[in-house]
Amino acid sequence: MSESNDRERIKAAQGKTVDRAQTTRRFDVPVVVDEKKCVTGCRICIDSCPVDCLAVDPRTQKSHMAFDECWYCLACELDCPKDAITVKIPFLLR
Amino acid sequence: MNFKVTEMDADIVVVGGGSAGSTAAITAQQALPKGRVLLLEKAHIKRSGAIAIGMDGLNNAIIPGHATVEQYVKEITMANDGIVNQRAVLEYATNSYSMIQQLDEWGVKFQKTETGDFDVKKVHHKGSYVLPMPEGYDLKKILTRLLRRAGVNVVNRVMATRLLMDGPRVVGVLGFDTREGDFVVIRAKAVILCCGASGRLGLPASGYLYGTYENPANAGDGYSLAYHAGAELTGIECFQINPLIKDYNGPACAYVTGPLGGHTVNAKGHRFIESDYWSGHMMLEFHRELHSENGPVFLKLNHLAPETITEIERVLHKTERPSRGRFHESRGHNYQDDWIEMHISEIGLCSGHSASGVWVNERGETTAPGLYAAGDMACVPHNYLLGALTYGKICAQNALSYIREVGPVEADADQLEGEQRRLFGPLSRPNGIPHHQFEYKVRRLVNDYLQPPKSQHRMEAGLNHFMHALDELEEVGATSPHELMRVMEGHFIRDCAEMAARASLYRKESRWGLYHYRQDYPELDDQNWFLHVNLKKDEQGNMTTLTRPVEPYVVPLEQSELRGYHALRIPRPSASVATA
Repeated sequence: MSESNDRERIKAAQGKTVDRAQTTRRFDVPVVVDEKKCVTGCRICIDSCPVDCLAVDPRTQKSHMAFDECWYCLACELDCPKDAITVKIPFLLR
Repeated sequence: MNFKVTEMDADIVVVGGGSAGSTAAITAQQALPKGRVLLLEKAHIKRSGAIAIGMDGLNNAIIPGHATVEQYVKEITMANDGIVNQRAVLEYATNSYSMIQQLDEWGVKFQKTETGDFDVKKVHHKGSYVLPMPEGYDLKKILTRLLRRAGVNVVNRVMATRLLMDGPRVVGVLGFDTREGDFVVIRAKAVILCCGASGRLGLPASGYLYGTYENPANAGDGYSLAYHAGAELTGIECFQINPLIKDYNGPACAYVTGPLGGHTVNAKGHRFIESDYWSGHMMLEFHRELHSENGPVFLKLNHLAPETITEIERVLHKTERPSRGRFHESRGHNYQDDWIEMHISEIGLCSGHSASGVWVNERGETTAPGLYAAGDMACVPHNYLLGALTYGKICAQNALSYIREVGPVEADADQLEGEQRRLFGPLSRPNGIPHHQFEYKVRRLVNDYLQPPKSQHRMEAGLNHFMHALDELEEVGATSPHELMRVMEGHFIRDCAEMAARASLYRKESRWGLYHYRQDYPELDDQNWFLHVNLKKDEQGNMTTLTRPVEPYVVPLEQSELRGYHALRIPRPSASVATA
């Protein structure tokens, strides 16, 4: 019994479910940013996105796909002056 | 809850900075050099609207020597089974060529022949109106440059959620900043809505919410804004359904590959439609073939010369949907060696392609004073890109005369408080239903119950779900202004689903091929239904249906011509030939 309680506690900690009764799900996202090429403070791709799914990642100060809402229109990729972005076709359509 | 309020005043506010909205704002500002023209855009004008990534051609160019205004009005009348406000179509047709000349001046590159003439192609069933624009990826950049040069006050990343009213008169826009979350109040003498299609209505067969044919930012915002302002909508039952590449949201045959010799074929490699032009009648034949023993349907190019195929790829993989080549690569097929499987799109509302939109006259006026509409959301059937640009200009010109005559703007404060409460409600429920789950459910139900073929029992069941979704919206929560944007789009999507169900239930006949094909009323019935079906919000706040007569034609058609689009299937060989 105690062993199984312990396992549940570990599961909650590992799954970051404490105080946050949500399921978390990992997505394969279409917009891939090469952080070595991406210029801090540029924001061109973020302006370009018609659905506003890109944002600055506060940890790295680089662009990343923040919301799973990509139309794979390539605006960000075409407008990036450093060729730092590759847009994949979303997995559901590949 | 108290939010920071940003207040602005303008002479004219344009909502939506796509093709129609940009042209409207440029036209208005050029005529009012010292006036205040404000262009509100939910995204960013450099890449917004239906043609965010450009467009590869004009589908409805009426160019002297290739087509006449009268021919075009006739063709659009027959493609719509007669249910058109011909004056509005005629106004477009009359101004179409001068708009092309203006685009030419602005630096838009059109395909020309060796003698310098516009290289017009025939795609429609009767006439020739397609003008390729192989470098059309520049169009949005050109419009953005013109907006800056004209000095239009562009406000990006602000979403309109309701129109500001003074009694029946529209006097501005309410909304919020989708980044910072401020409440935005804009007072204006006139409002021009250019918010695009209701393109996030049906769910793509892939189940991917943002895999829509239309730019997913076009969530039906304009349909809902106009409706809640008391304006009438029309032809909503005439859905938009397009032939697309299977699993990919790009079109395939008609406008680019058709004129270069591409074919739409069935699994046996046989062609089955007379004309690839996107009409409801063509879509009905497409749908029948798809679901017959000869399905699926394919785009066939591999009978063409390799250099022709390369030319097709150059256009298709660069403009409008440039990720197309990447999609084919991921599937391991190409135009040289393979037939490309096609399918039909999810349903949507869009007058650019069909005829579902806000009711407008030939001046771009809606039935709400002070409110104009242009582009995909305004009902001028089959208006496409050139219609959006042309009507953007027409709306601006008429709004300019209107604002010279109207009194000052007054709006009552209760409205502001009420909208602030409604709009920001979801932020008080951070643990509420997530917006994507709400949206998935509504759009899945749209597919289940509204996708043609339509029937009364199914659509009534759907309508019940959409009314229940109104209550569910009270449980949907948001944790950020970005999520709030998606929740408010959920409101628009639900409103459009209700409209689509009610208008389709009301028209008890079949018309426009697949767009309004009813299994319970399979015949076209001119005796009872040669009229417009309109929707509006009544005084109790309920959605009501009404009819308007089709005004006498300004370009008359013979009765036989009215059925000009009814024989789109290539006749099967007769039995004697088949057995010979």
